[in-house]
Amino acid sequence: MAIMETKQSLSGRILEIQRMSTEDGPGIRTTVFFKGCPLACGWCHNPESISPLPQVQWVGVDCIGCGTCVAVCPKEALSMDGKGVHIDRERCSGCGTCAEECPSGSMELLGTAWDVDSLARELVKDRVFFEQSGGGVTLSGGEATLQAAFCHAVLERLTNEGIQTALDTCGQLSRRNFESLLPLLDILLFDVKEMDPKRHLHFTGRSNETILNNLAFAGAWAREHKHLQQFWVRTPLILGATATAFNIRSIGAFIAKHLAGNVDRWELCAFNNLCGDKYTRLGLRWDYAHTPLLSPEQMETYASIAKDSGVDPAIVFWSGTTLAGEGKRTATSANPDSDRQEASHGRGIAC
Amino acid sequence: MNEATALNYTIKEPSELSPRITWLRDYYFRGNERAWNNQFTAWTTGTPWDNLFNEITFYIVPETFLLLSPLSGSFLQSARKVPLHPEFWTWSLPERRAWFVKEVIVNQVPREILPGDLIAGARFNVQTSLCLNEREAKEWDRLVRGKGGARRQTKWFHDHGYGNAGATSGHLIPGHERLLTLGWKGIYADLMEKYGALDPQEKRGAQGSQLKAMITASTMARDLAGKYGARCREMAAAEDDAGRKKELERMAANLQGVPWEPPADFWEAVQTLWINHMLVMTDENYPGAGVSFGRLDQYLLPYYERSMKDGMDREFAKEILKCFWVHCNTAYDAMITNGHQGITAGFGQLLTLSGLGEAGRDMTNELTYVILEVIDEMSPILEPKPNVRLHRNSPEELLDRCVSMIETSQGAPFLLNFDERSMAGMIYQAEKTGLQHFINSENVHDYAPVGCLENTMAGNDRSGTVDNNINLLKAVELALTGGRDMLPFVDPLTGKTEKVRQDGPATGDPCRFTSFDEFWRAYEKQTAFIIQKCVDLYEVSESIRASYFPTPYLSCMVKGCAEKAMDVTQGGAEINFATMEAVTFATTVDSLLAVKYLVFDRKACTMADLIQALRDNWQGHEVIQTMAKNKAPKYGRDDDEADHMAKRVMDLWCTETWKHKTISTGRRFRPGMLSWNYWAGDGFIMAASPDGRPRGQFLSNAICPSNGADTKGPTANTNSVGMVLGGKAKDGGGHWKEYLNCLPNGASHTITFNPSILRDPEHRDKFKAFLRGYAANGGTALQINMLDPAMLRDAQRHPKDYRHLLVRITGYNAYFVTVGRELQNEVIERISHGKF
Repeated sequence: MAIMETKQSLSGRILEIQRMSTEDGPGIRTTVFFKGCPLACGWCHNPESISPLPQVQWVGVDCIGCGTCVAVCPKEALSMDGKGVHIDRERCSGCGTCAEECPSGSMELLGTAWDVDSLARELVKDRVFFEQSGGGVTLSGGEATLQAAFCHAVLERLTNEGIQTALDTCGQLSRRNFESLLPLLDILLFDVKEMDPKRHLHFTGRSNETILNNLAFAGAWAREHKHLQQFWVRTPLILGATATAFNIRSIGAFIAKHLAGNVDRWELCAFNNLCGDKYTRLGLRWDYAHTPLLSPEQMETYASIAKDSGVDPAIVFWSGTTLAGEGKRTATSANPDSDRQEASHGRGIAC
Repeated sequence: MNEATALNYTIKEPSELSPRITWLRDYYFRGNERAWNNQFTAWTTGTPWDNLFNEITFYIVPETFLLLSPLSGSFLQSARKVPLHPEFWTWSLPERRAWFVKEVIVNQVPREILPGDLIAGARFNVQTSLCLNEREAKEWDRLVRGKGGARRQTKWFHDHGYGNAGATSGHLIPGHERLLTLGWKGIYADLMEKYGALDPQEKRGAQGSQLKAMITASTMARDLAGKYGARCREMAAAEDDAGRKKELERMAANLQGVPWEPPADFWEAVQTLWINHMLVMTDENYPGAGVSFGRLDQYLLPYYERSMKDGMDREFAKEILKCFWVHCNTAYDAMITNGHQGITAGFGQLLTLSGLGEAGRDMTNELTYVILEVIDEMSPILEPKPNVRLHRNSPEELLDRCVSMIETSQGAPFLLNFDERSMAGMIYQAEKTGLQHFINSENVHDYAPVGCLENTMAGNDRSGTVDNNINLLKAVELALTGGRDMLPFVDPLTGKTEKVRQDGPATGDPCRFTSFDEFWRAYEKQTAFIIQKCVDLYEVSESIRASYFPTPYLSCMVKGCAEKAMDVTQGGAEINFATMEAVTFATTVDSLLAVKYLVFDRKACTMADLIQALRDNWQGHEVIQTMAKNKAPKYGRDDDEADHMAKRVMDLWCTETWKHKTISTGRRFRPGMLSWNYWAGDGFIMAASPDGRPRGQFLSNAICPSNGADTKGPTANTNSVGMVLGGKAKDGGGHWKEYLNCLPNGASHTITFNPSILRDPEHRDKFKAFLRGYAANGGTALQINMLDPAMLRDAQRHPKDYRHLLVRITGYNAYFVTVGRELQNEVIERISHGKF
């Protein structure tokens, strides 16, 4: 009973809840983007999800220049000029007073606190659509498991409600946490970025040792626990980083060796460069700002490398935003929600 | 952006059309360059007091107010005199009208067959004399155009932002199925018998007159078909091409039998349907708006099956239907030479496909798919307008077909109606008004939508589905002012400013209100007032129509009229509601939410500040305005607090609506939500609203959330809509199964998706699941736009490349490049589910 009460009073820091997501697992889903990630991938297109702390950002579209935010900031971290509102990140404590008082919603607090009850109430609202589509709820981020206890409580509630659950993880979590969460999952989306530990450290700030151990463990676990309905491995392909034939072959070999027969889908996700303004809003420089999109032909080539890497070729898919032949984005395989997501500051996959 | 991108988007094109249909379709789209058209021709009795134009039928189209006098005058000027029967002036008005309309269409209007056409019956748009004698004409003139007459009252109501009301033609489903089964000879025999059963006094009275008028009208289709048959024979004799000659001979043979005799095969059945349908438009002098077909794939099926058994080629069945499709579009020719009128937006000769049958059976059949193919191959084209009825167990194949059509057409080529929610509303209205003998769980599946999505029964129901359009927001305005207009009305023609008067009840100075509840009570009183005012206005035109505008031909096709010996315009139909359509629903809800949030909860401003901001159209009050827009709760996000307010607003205006009945015709009012284009136009009339909307910005559309307010996406939007309609009964005891629905007429709901949701089979499945989810949780009807905002912006820059791009507005399709720039921008804005 004491444990239950503790769980009820748990609070999670959530970046966004996206209803009718069609990209984070099977069917129609509600995806919860948690704030905070143990990795810091240079190409990350949800940079606002990396820090576990609340952050504020200014989105200028609706700003009427009233100066309320500057006036109410207890840390005097804000200033305004003809170009808009500037945030002194050294001073800003992320208290959110400016966002609370801003009349237009232009000052946004990234990372709001949710308790389990309120979140669960929100997540069951699309039950009918989940049932009709074979969908459910996906916990994503950031890295949801960084808030493992909260994650556990939410998954438990959803499972009791009969809602299909999915976790989209970067794999960087303790075995103990992983083991406690796995029984509550119907679907596991596991991101594997780079096989070379040194390159992985360079790209993400961490070695991939824990990640690969967890991946192999998940494979074994999936073999023994048939209630895990779907197990997807996802690999973001970034030019100048992960998008090498060697890396794809190595990941393929690992899947073939440790996960054979247990992975339902290995998805190669084309790099998405549509998030440059997110970095700007957070006052960050983005090393990948000028990295080009891949073409469908390139993605096909990578996919064929993946299919030859020893895995069952039927599990290989590719997705994401690509270039058209003449340098335009195509509508057919483009990220479907690119326009909408940009408009609502949406999140991409958590790779 | 690169100019060349104009070529990157594929707009739906017609396909698989035979040379015959290609020619007919192309010819149609040549518009006013055509040698042949179906423009109104005008016909007079030749009396100095004659009037041909029943302007009342246009009172719900405020754009025409300034044109009413010129139209009336020009029809009269161009009218040809019809030699009258020697006893004409001794007859009752219905008899005069029946004879005159028949004389005009059978003997005066030219009869043509277009090259290759398989269906006869071309010109039907006419303006015929109202057939009034001098005394009647004087009285009509006083009632309609006099001081305090219908026209002025209607204009006042509109100018002051209340909305509009008027007894409008069309908007029903005539009894086509019965006509196909009995033929006109069966109707004629029935009328003769009923007339014969009257006692001598009744025969001399109103009942006798009505039945005699209907008897005359019941031979109109026979006589016209005879004339067309003769024309076909002449053409056949002169035809060199053997194939065409045979077709014309067959058409002549068809017309010899039908529509007097019941049809024997598919071709005859479609020919019957066309003549019977087009003559409704002739009879009402009204080009088609809302004259709907009902469940076409159900009642034509026996004829289709019979002909297929007898060896008809499936493609030929489609060829017949495609000719029928072209005929329906010629309704738009009514005013084709005055400025391309009409061919921009759907008139709504609505047909219904699929849906539930007895015992929960799905009624999708082979003809459903044949008709869907016809729609797909003819699209983009506006008429007839299809509505596909879906339900929880609609077959996968039908959904696949619908989704693939949605994928290739930017505005879905059909509306979707959802059976469970719709039928719940129909049962509800029957239970509420004691009409269970006409609508009950045994027959409710035979309901069908009219016009766009207005649910009625077929063949015995005229519920005035577009006749009353009330701006709910007016009650918020009056609550804020204690019953006076927020802004004085300035006549745009004279520049004169009207004095503001105490029009509504004095509900007190809102600046003294200490709680939102007090404000709500004022809003309640003002809502009762505006609905009463609309009912009173409607009575004016309803009573004039009942006395002066009989439609005996249409009355023959509506069950109840012969039985009661009463015209359909007098309440002859078995089912006889007058529908009140609420406009500005979400703007009203969001405005109430904003008052509560700004003044009482958050105390961001005083009531006096807010009222001043509204009087100033928000100028100089941008901080409050932006809070109202961005911080106050909004309906449509599946947010319990906001949707609870929406439900409160819904329950209140519905309760007020059900209280009323027309005096002259005894029609009970029922609620619905369709806002045609009023939400756009009236946005320029109504003062700024507390939700942050300035005057000049559009109001919300039907049951949709305010433009851009649905930031939580389509599923949340759907849940909100289903919830305000009543949701589902917790104990399972709803109006239909567990479903509740407080709007029997139905509610228009539009959701725009980015086309990429259909980009591969996996995503198409997700979209199908969304539609099934909508059937479970959503409203009565859904329109889908599949539009990429980038494409629309491109269409604004290169309109010529997008001439046929159809988008859904509110229950109707419109060519994107022909709608105004503001409406275009609104459609673009609607797409992103983004922030304000």
